[in-house]
Amino acid sequence: MAHRILRDHEADGWERSDFPIICESCLGDNPYVRMTKANYDKECKICTRPFTVFRWRPGRDARYKKTEICQTCCKLKNVCQVCLLDLEYGLPVQVRDTALNISTHDSIPKSDVNREYFAEEHDRKTRAGLDYESSFGKMRPNDTILKLQRTTPYYKRNRAHVCSFFIRGECTRGAECPYRHEMPETGELSQQNIKDRYYGVNDPVAMKLLGKAGEMGTLESPEDESIKTLYVGGLNSRILEQDIRDQFYAYGEIESIRILADKACAFVTYTSREGAEKAAQELANRLVVNGQRLKLTWGRPRPEQDGSNQQGSVAHSGLLPRAVISQQHNQPPPMQQYYMQPPPANQDKPYYPSMDPQRMGAVISNQEAGGSSTIDNSGASSSSYVMPPHQSYPPAPYGYMPPPYQQQYPPNHHHHPGPMQHYAPPPAAYPYPQQPGPGSRPAPSPAAVSAPSPDSAPAGSAGAPSGSSQQPPAAASTATGSSQ
Amino acid sequence: MPKIKTNRIKYPEGWELIEPTLRELDAKMREAEMDTHDGKRKCETLWPIFKVSHQRSRYVYDLYYRREEISKELYEFCLDQGYADRSLIAKWKKSGYERLCCLRCIQPRDHNYGTTCVCRVPKNLREEKVVECVHCGCQGCASGD
Repeated sequence: MAHRILRDHEADGWERSDFPIICESCLGDNPYVRMTKANYDKECKICTRPFTVFRWRPGRDARYKKTEICQTCCKLKNVCQVCLLDLEYGLPVQVRDTALNISTHDSIPKSDVNREYFAEEHDRKTRAGLDYESSFGKMRPNDTILKLQRTTPYYKRNRAHVCSFFIRGECTRGAECPYRHEMPETGELSQQNIKDRYYGVNDPVAMKLLGKAGEMGTLESPEDESIKTLYVGGLNSRILEQDIRDQFYAYGEIESIRILADKACAFVTYTSREGAEKAAQELANRLVVNGQRLKLTWGRPRPEQDGSNQQGSVAHSGLLPRAVISQQHNQPPPMQQYYMQPPPANQDKPYYPSMDPQRMGAVISNQEAGGSSTIDNSGASSSSYVMPPHQSYPPAPYGYMPPPYQQQYPPNHHHHPGPMQHYAPPPAAYPYPQQPGPGSRPAPSPAAVSAPSPDSAPAGSAGAPSGSSQQPPAAASTATGSSQ
Repeated sequence: MPKIKTNRIKYPEGWELIEPTLRELDAKMREAEMDTHDGKRKCETLWPIFKVSHQRSRYVYDLYYRREEISKELYEFCLDQGYADRSLIAKWKKSGYERLCCLRCIQPRDHNYGTTCVCRVPKNLREEKVVECVHCGCQGCASGD
């Protein structure tokens, strides 16, 4: 295009615009900004078409910044014209695309004439006023990106560049040198390429950010297995206990919720470790109550509790009936009396007390007495809770219960006495060899939701073959005998 | 600007007193013109020119307006022969421009946003204290400083 003497700007497809599309950080902290506009001043760094360059100083201690890419290119990726970071989130293109699972990548050609043609076509369409629906307007943010996004403007990137003479030790300008007299940062992050950053390919900053995002997603469980308490931080006065309960009830039975208004935090204690872990896993980075984003971590043991907690590992709100507390203390010994140990340790589903046949009056020979007492306790304790909505959980999960439990049952034998509280005894009670089969199988159904009854029958038959494969032959024969 | 003594030019009286200084300043200017550009920025290479020009004009201006040691005729002779810059001296006569460094620094057309050069801003009103203006390397020519 350089060979022509007379330039017809419109025909060439050169871009003109009236105002730059830039992010807050690049615009600067000063509300008074003087900006020069120069039509067709420079080539876009991506599509190499001439475009309108705006130049301004974003603040007192800043260098002058100018738009680097044209508006066509910037709208295709929804990025700032200067820093090439997303306009809404302030993230590199690669991070945003990965987090939101969108890909504008393939549709934009990257080389030569193809690229110029695409850019011109696009530009022409926009100028003609065709309703170009940017796909970026429709995206709804997901939690990852909300976690990753930049919330405040970052003015450090507006600083002057590093004085290259200073690096060599030769800066003769001294005090009046407008460049920074610091050593440059070296490393992976310094080798950035504007095209890579724009197309979202091979961007070191993005890799680093994505790496951090991957790690931060998981809230690690503490090693102390008896901690069932989650710390919720960032509360404000509008958040009530009921709101917290609403959020947390889905993951397990809540033993207690304790709110400390002066510290703007709350402690949510579950009756089971699994419940707490599930809640932590699900809510770790996306706990939002009443529109307020809250921080969620594991609680740490509070030794200075009153006498109700002698184990010293869980923070109680003091709401627990004495029956419950005494149960806790008695928990280890009675459990060990049972021949086959308890609970499911089935980690991928919340275990609800109602899932346990024993508690709901199942006829189990040596556990009947225990069963009836547990019913009393369950009655007492459930009345102390405002909401057991998990009791009305959809039947579907129940149907799945028995087979996995039976298979897991022998290997998990040893784990149970530790983490499980009294209220979460094993549905793996099913494969107990000493159970009279017909007694146990139908027994859970009245206690549990109605649906399981049809399920328990096939479950029982499914249980039999698996049970036989894993259990001592004597037990298997009784089990198979009983199922038929 | 005559560097050689020709016979055509008739020097007014009093010339002998100022001639040595003027010749010296001329030599300085020649030196500035011949200087290499090594180790200097592109704009920096021109700074000595402006500096010597200012110096020369200042000498003549001082002689006539401040010290009043030369006659009007001699003064006009110096301006005509090119030993001083007439337009720069014209600015010096105005209030507020007594120390003006060069004529480029007050030309709004030469600057972004139609302003003057930073060297015209008094030091107490500036944010960065040490500046060398890009046109002439001036470090502050406001009358107060």
